[in-house]
Amino acid sequence: MSSISLKNVYKIFEDGTTAVNDFNLEISDREFIILVGPSGCGKSTTLRMIAGLEDITKGELKIGDRVVNDVAPKDRDIAMVFQSYALYPHMTVYKNMAFGLELRKVPKDEIDRRVREAAKVLDIEHLLKRKPRALSGGQRQRVALGRAMVRSPSVFLLDEPLSNLDAKLRTTMRTEIKKLHQRLGTTFIYVTHDQTEAMTMGDRIVVMKDGVIQQVDTPQNLYKHPFNMFVAGFIGSPQMNFLDGRLTAKNGKIILSLSNNELDITNAVSGRQELLQYDGQAVKVGVRPEDLTVDADYIAQNPDKVLTAKLEVSEPMGNESYLYLDYAGQKLTARVSADSPTNENTELGIYIDKLHLFDPNTTVNIIK
Amino acid sequence: MNSVTAKNIIKTLLYLLLIGIGLAFLAPIIIVLYNSFKGKFYISDDPFALPNAGTFSGIENYISGIEKTGFPAAFGWSLFITVFSVIAIVLFTSMTAWYIVRVKNGFTKALYYIFVFSMIVPFQMVMFTMTKTVADLGLDTPWGLIIVYLGFGAGLAVFMFCGFVKSVPVEIEEAAMIDGCNPFQTFFHVVFPIMKPTAITVAILDAMWIWNDYLLPYLLIGSEYKTIPIAVQYLRGGYGSVDMGAMMAMLVLSIIPIVVFYLSCQKYIIKGIVAGAVKG
Repeated sequence: MSSISLKNVYKIFEDGTTAVNDFNLEISDREFIILVGPSGCGKSTTLRMIAGLEDITKGELKIGDRVVNDVAPKDRDIAMVFQSYALYPHMTVYKNMAFGLELRKVPKDEIDRRVREAAKVLDIEHLLKRKPRALSGGQRQRVALGRAMVRSPSVFLLDEPLSNLDAKLRTTMRTEIKKLHQRLGTTFIYVTHDQTEAMTMGDRIVVMKDGVIQQVDTPQNLYKHPFNMFVAGFIGSPQMNFLDGRLTAKNGKIILSLSNNELDITNAVSGRQELLQYDGQAVKVGVRPEDLTVDADYIAQNPDKVLTAKLEVSEPMGNESYLYLDYAGQKLTARVSADSPTNENTELGIYIDKLHLFDPNTTVNIIK
Repeated sequence: MNSVTAKNIIKTLLYLLLIGIGLAFLAPIIIVLYNSFKGKFYISDDPFALPNAGTFSGIENYISGIEKTGFPAAFGWSLFITVFSVIAIVLFTSMTAWYIVRVKNGFTKALYYIFVFSMIVPFQMVMFTMTKTVADLGLDTPWGLIIVYLGFGAGLAVFMFCGFVKSVPVEIEEAAMIDGCNPFQTFFHVVFPIMKPTAITVAILDAMWIWNDYLLPYLLIGSEYKTIPIAVQYLRGGYGSVDMGAMMAMLVLSIIPIVVFYLSCQKYIIKGIVAGAVKG
């Protein structure tokens, strides 16, 4: 049983900095959970508290049914993979992997069996006699994973394990780690600042900012129903566009006024009574780049859902293009198919039913 | 004259100059070496002359030197004091440096500066008070001398180890903690092996210093236990008479162990043992 529970967990450093603020999370057995957020958001500190490398200032941490606040890292039945790999430089790959088991007085033949088994899974059998300095970045990362695997821990902690690898290797290792999770059937907690890793790997994602959890949800839900502007902007690449708007209720219709346009969003937000309190008030409008289109048919059929923006830069990506535009002084990014016709004044159709509206003061999504 | 030829001439002159400087440094050792095979009366006549059929005395100087100085006992004491002092310095100062670097508070900061300060205090300044204190504490024995050497050697050693530990990524130690190491296991299984190049450098520097040191053993234990430098000094007889032959021979014997030690260790002074532990 390797569920993890964090209740009202705080980390306050000696200089008074609050790195983690009232963190509450229940992680179920065998779950692959991702902690994601910008640098300094407290994700690594949270992971280090779970590992026992940082003291918990306040709150309760349970692994399984056991409160482990004061339990030494070695007795928590966890294994950790570090961003810098942290291999022992004077030991061979074999010894690096076997070291933890030797300390636990596991019989030699059992150690040998486990090390060779892990090496086979990770395809590093031919490297067992080498020292870390003779390995490439990807190989070192595999050894670091192997060192964690042989221990068969209840919980795997991974602290930005792929951030030192090149883009191609990162994609490969992403799949490998995902496969490893399926094979081992263990709880994985994975820290990253890369939202692509977060979206592709996790069962659930915890988005953090300034030590506070912003939202915990599945990747799809985070993308489709971001709780606030931070989550909306952080998840998704290119990031969501934010425009200034104003809501007004006229003759039973709900009109969203943008700088140069008025959009009728009545059908898209039907039944959302809570919107009425924003009548006549400013809102932030969130539009994903793929929810803008240059499709001529859509534009012809929906002339009332078209914005005209000035094209600044077009970035061809192969199968698609990113258009960077200026709409009445506000920046817009559109993700369109590569062969889409573009000109200086681009007409952009907008998928009204996919709009997000945020309270400009609290930044909370008002049509979740 | 084209520029390539000019460059070659400058290069050759530079090499000749460097070879000359190299020989000048080696000359005293070479002169001592060949003088040790000359009859004792011929040495002061012409110290730079090579031995010839008339002046060559074989190993006579060695035999008389060993007899006169009690060389085996002196060698034993020198070896005992050097080996245990170096072990004590390397072991204790490496642990101290690890503690100072990893535990960051006012106490460790003060400790570090005290160690650094101790490096700049000249020995002569504390010589007499230290000798008195050592005698009062009953440390004027070879074992006591080892403790005194630990004190005098700690400053530089802590300074060197601290510099190295700072470059060791703390994640390696955290990985060891998670793997199941207690602090002692972390130090001896992980930290100390990584420190090996610095440990060997410290060991070589301190071994050379302690093996050749004359003043400290003379002041503290010289009357009862003679190390090699003290024993060699006893070859100076009364009224300025010196057995130069025996002295040269004993000097040769005394430098052999330290040269062997240096040659066997110098290959371990390598950079980059940490390379590969972390990203890069």
